[in-house]
Amino acid sequence: MKIDGTNTLPASVDTVWKTINDPEALRRCTPGLKELKAISPDNYAATLQIGIAAVKGTYAGTLRITDKQAPTHYRIILEGTGGAGFMKGEGTVDLEPQGDGTLLKWVGDIQIGGLIAGVGQRMLGGIGKMLIGQFFKCLEESLGSGS
Amino acid sequence: MKPAAFEYHTPRTVDEAVALLARYGEEGKVLAGGQSLVPLMNMRLARPANIIDINRIDALAYLRRERGVLRLGALTRQRAAERSPIIAQHCPILRDALRLVGHAQIRNRGTVGGSIAHADPAGELTAILLALDGEVTVRGPKRTRVIAAADLFVTYLTTSLDPHELLIEVRFPLPPEGAGWSWMEIARRHGDFALAGVGVVLAVRRGRIAEARIGLTGVGPTPVRAAQAERGLVGQPPSTALWAEAAEAVRGAVEPDGDIHASAEYRKHVAGVLTLRALQEAYERARKVA
Amino acid sequence: MSTRYAGARVPRNEDPALLRGRGLFVDDLALPNLAHAAVLRSPHAHARIVRIDAGRARRAPGVAAVLTHADLGEFGGPLPMLIPHPTLIHPKTQQPLASSVVRHVGEPVALVVAESRYAAEDASDLIEVEYAPLPAAVDLTAAAAPGAPLVHANTGTNVCAHYTQRVGDVEHAMALAPHRFRERLVVDRGTASPIETRGVVASWDPRTQRLEIWDSTQAPIPIRNGLAAMFHLPQPSVRVVAPDVGGGFGPKVMMFYPEEILVPLAAMRLGRPVKWIEDRREHFVATNQEREQIHDAEIGLDETGRILALRTVFLYDAGAYCPYGLIVPIVASTTLPGPYRLPNYHAEFNAVFTNKTTVSPYRGAGRPHGVFVMERLLDRAACELGIDRTEIRRRNLIQPDEFPYAVGLIYQDNAPVEYDSGNYPRCLEHATEMIGYAGWADQQAAYRAAGRCVGLGVACYVEGTGIGPYEGCRVTVDPSGKVFVSTGVGTQGQGHMTSFAQLVADQLGVTPRDVVVRTGDTDGFRWGTGTFASRAAVVAGTAASLAAQAVREKTQLVAATLLEARPKEIDLAEGKVFVRGVPARALSLGEVAAAANPLRFAMPAEWEGPGLEATRYFAPPRGTFSNGVHACIVEVDPETGMVSLLRYVVVHDCGRLINPMIVEGQIHGGVAQGIGGAYWEKLAYDAQGQPLATTFMDYLLPTAVEVPPIEVGHEETPTPLNPLGVKGAGEAGVIPVGAAIAQAVEDALRPFDIHITEMPLSPNRVRQLVAKARRTP
Repeated sequence: MKIDGTNTLPASVDTVWKTINDPEALRRCTPGLKELKAISPDNYAATLQIGIAAVKGTYAGTLRITDKQAPTHYRIILEGTGGAGFMKGEGTVDLEPQGDGTLLKWVGDIQIGGLIAGVGQRMLGGIGKMLIGQFFKCLEESLGSGS
Repeated sequence: MKPAAFEYHTPRTVDEAVALLARYGEEGKVLAGGQSLVPLMNMRLARPANIIDINRIDALAYLRRERGVLRLGALTRQRAAERSPIIAQHCPILRDALRLVGHAQIRNRGTVGGSIAHADPAGELTAILLALDGEVTVRGPKRTRVIAAADLFVTYLTTSLDPHELLIEVRFPLPPEGAGWSWMEIARRHGDFALAGVGVVLAVRRGRIAEARIGLTGVGPTPVRAAQAERGLVGQPPSTALWAEAAEAVRGAVEPDGDIHASAEYRKHVAGVLTLRALQEAYERARKVA
Repeated sequence: MSTRYAGARVPRNEDPALLRGRGLFVDDLALPNLAHAAVLRSPHAHARIVRIDAGRARRAPGVAAVLTHADLGEFGGPLPMLIPHPTLIHPKTQQPLASSVVRHVGEPVALVVAESRYAAEDASDLIEVEYAPLPAAVDLTAAAAPGAPLVHANTGTNVCAHYTQRVGDVEHAMALAPHRFRERLVVDRGTASPIETRGVVASWDPRTQRLEIWDSTQAPIPIRNGLAAMFHLPQPSVRVVAPDVGGGFGPKVMMFYPEEILVPLAAMRLGRPVKWIEDRREHFVATNQEREQIHDAEIGLDETGRILALRTVFLYDAGAYCPYGLIVPIVASTTLPGPYRLPNYHAEFNAVFTNKTTVSPYRGAGRPHGVFVMERLLDRAACELGIDRTEIRRRNLIQPDEFPYAVGLIYQDNAPVEYDSGNYPRCLEHATEMIGYAGWADQQAAYRAAGRCVGLGVACYVEGTGIGPYEGCRVTVDPSGKVFVSTGVGTQGQGHMTSFAQLVADQLGVTPRDVVVRTGDTDGFRWGTGTFASRAAVVAGTAASLAAQAVREKTQLVAATLLEARPKEIDLAEGKVFVRGVPARALSLGEVAAAANPLRFAMPAEWEGPGLEATRYFAPPRGTFSNGVHACIVEVDPETGMVSLLRYVVVHDCGRLINPMIVEGQIHGGVAQGIGGAYWEKLAYDAQGQPLATTFMDYLLPTAVEVPPIEVGHEETPTPLNPLGVKGAGEAGVIPVGAAIAQAVEDALRPFDIHITEMPLSPNRVRQLVAKARRTP
């Protein structure tokens, strides 16, 4: 599933860059991300508990940041495997100044497989976009509050 | 396709059920008709540690009309509502939509409360609740509260109920006397999830639209109230051109998802087609009050 | 000999028990100390297995065993290649459990055996498998192209076979043809969806050293033979029973599915019976699928619409493995010519591996594709040349006096395609009359005036049926007077217990209710190949009739001794045996059977053995060709793309009908599956090879609401290829449905001038075609 979007964030490029590289901010804003443990720089073991309504699953996997070109570009890869299936989300993030704030452009590809893909195709696309939207909303809020 | 192990509880009263929900919270799930929950459990997509089966709470199964409002206990079976003479007489759009909810076997077990709480993005009852400005009563361990339809549906399969709350009553304000109605949906087969569905209620007075309600399903994560389209209709003399304008407004108001059965463009297009046809049918059914 | 029952609508022998829920399906088996199995399956379309750790699973409560490939020992090798072919250069079959690579979602990785299916699934959750995903070859065209990810690493290509069949000189004839039209025709993946999924129960008795298997299979004898060979047992030590089977339709013919090895293996190792029942979600990924083909076809015609040449070059999606060889694409190629004279023909295909579920025949087995290509090309030609669509067909039909007609191709049984009999023009007339073709133009004009888009479609086909190698049958009269019939074919709803009983009843003067037909038990009858390819009535039915005839002659012989008459004077009727003209002095058939088995004294030499019993085989040298014409009327809503079927007509010629009611049932079922394949049923896969329709929520079977009443007309041109004159009827219903519906939808939307080149359609697709229409009315 290919998705992309733009968000305007109320902070400078440098502040945004710091935030999107901060494991605390990532852990807080990534929906369902319960645990993020550094294995090496930019390489984390991740535990996700994600679901909608009664459909819940725990996924164990990794979060990696690669291809860093500070302070404007990186690639982020989140993947996890669980009982109900597996998922892999990969995206590039580009920052550019826009007035007092930052324009964040993201392009991503989400693959969902296993049981959940074969049963939930009707809603997976929409739910994926919604979760990504939640991520950016959370980022926006934490940047807006000046943290 | 065998479910994971769970503890099974059978409360006899609402208080007992709520106490169980308070205790188990996120690890508990209410079982009413089971037509959505049980398949998810069989496939192990849902593994609630505790099932709170409310089917023995007789106090939750009732259907009555009171002061212009249809009050349904959460455990009212869809089939009972479908065949209710009260609904046939006073809220026929509900009957017409219910006939398209799955199949008779599913409606024999499925409940009105369960359907609303499940909030399937292609469900019929949620769209009608929204169109008629309905509301639900929910009981939690600390309080009972009322949630208006406009505040109830959050996203896919998600309402604003919290995990400790039990939905106990659904209320549909009745359409005005003599109002016309129409429920139309496109589904791949009889009983399937709607690719798009539209419910319309129209009241006509002195040759003009006095009141218009348009609710849609299958066109996004939650049911949609086409408020702008409604406003464009009120006060206007009816005509095919008017319906077409409303259909365009509806198309502009929805952002459907695509899936393997139909693209987003198709659903958007068909939402407009159904709106136009439903408005025409609702108008024909409306009693024209001079 | 009377023909009282053959040809009659005899109510089915199997129904009283089935309708009362007293059938025995494989899941009904309850054996003492039965353990239950679950299969852990790959969630990836293509991946390396890095690590499997079943330790926690083995220790879970109620678990008797967990098998991974490492535990299989000598049974871990690739499963047999069921149908090889000289052009199949990469004959790949799967291992019972994947060892290092998984090649489709659903491929088995481990088997868990436990006290209950619940416990087995709980333990399955605890098996840790680490996969390294690999790029998947999913799209058929992309998979065939150089540089595609390889499904099988050591092959260098995903093309596992390339085969061409030629008649005449297509290049020359096409070049000279005044009119040439090209089409690219696409049919998408589907699955048979029998109401009963697969299942296997196995039990090893150490005292008798016998392995007993109950398997929801269409071919129990090959399973018995294969398992005996695999487990180094003599064939009499293995018994395979196909009990009541809730639908087969093709995918239940395999030798073997992994579970057919794993379950018996587990039973033997554990020393207790093991049951595995496939659930529906598994069925969508683990039972063979079919239907995906892409044809680039061209037709050349003269001014009058006569076909001069036809070429098709196509891709056939074989899935991840190809145990069933090239049957489907060969059948597609050889069915394409249909009832038409086709002097120059070129059919060429590439069979392509993809990272999707394995493909094997599903009702029709390629015939629907052949018909879709030919009929769409003729419709295109009719439209462009301004010739009526039934007239262009009429002009090309093989005439009744041209039989036997050699098409010039080699069929799936390796014998030449030679149409033995038929009356194609009469079937077309019959169908067009039933659908009201003569008055259609006026009727359609009236619909259009009322603002309705209603269309009519007609499609013709010829179907190869009744192929060998052989089937056999034993008929035995019991002293009770009941007649027992045993044959090697299995039954999955075809009504063999009735149709074979009718044939035998006619020979022996009893009623079909007196005849007990048993199929599907290798202990009951040891020789046979199975139920597939519309052959059981032809091959096993003929064998039954021959065996019954032999029993009749024996009865006459024995009764002649008892009644002091000559054998030719003995008649059999109403369960009695008597000298013609002297019915008062009759013996019951049972009495004669008892008398034929003396306990003492000498037995007449001419009896050649005791009892009223005979076994006969029938080995047809080649198949016999059924044919038919379908016609339908559909209504289309151009705004929403919704299509509804208003009428569906079938005219069908399967030679002599044994039981018209059963044939109609077969046709109804086939038509319903064809309707599904034309407008509802599609197995969608995403770009990573993830199947997206693995429940009936998303794989849409048409219901009683969607399928119109099916009007069936029968024609009978008996075949000279067997004594009964019967031809096969099992697959017929499904074959031309897509072609007929495509034509009907185009006809309904004629003002928009849309063009249909794919199956299945959907409201979304129809609406898209209207939106992009070349004309607006």
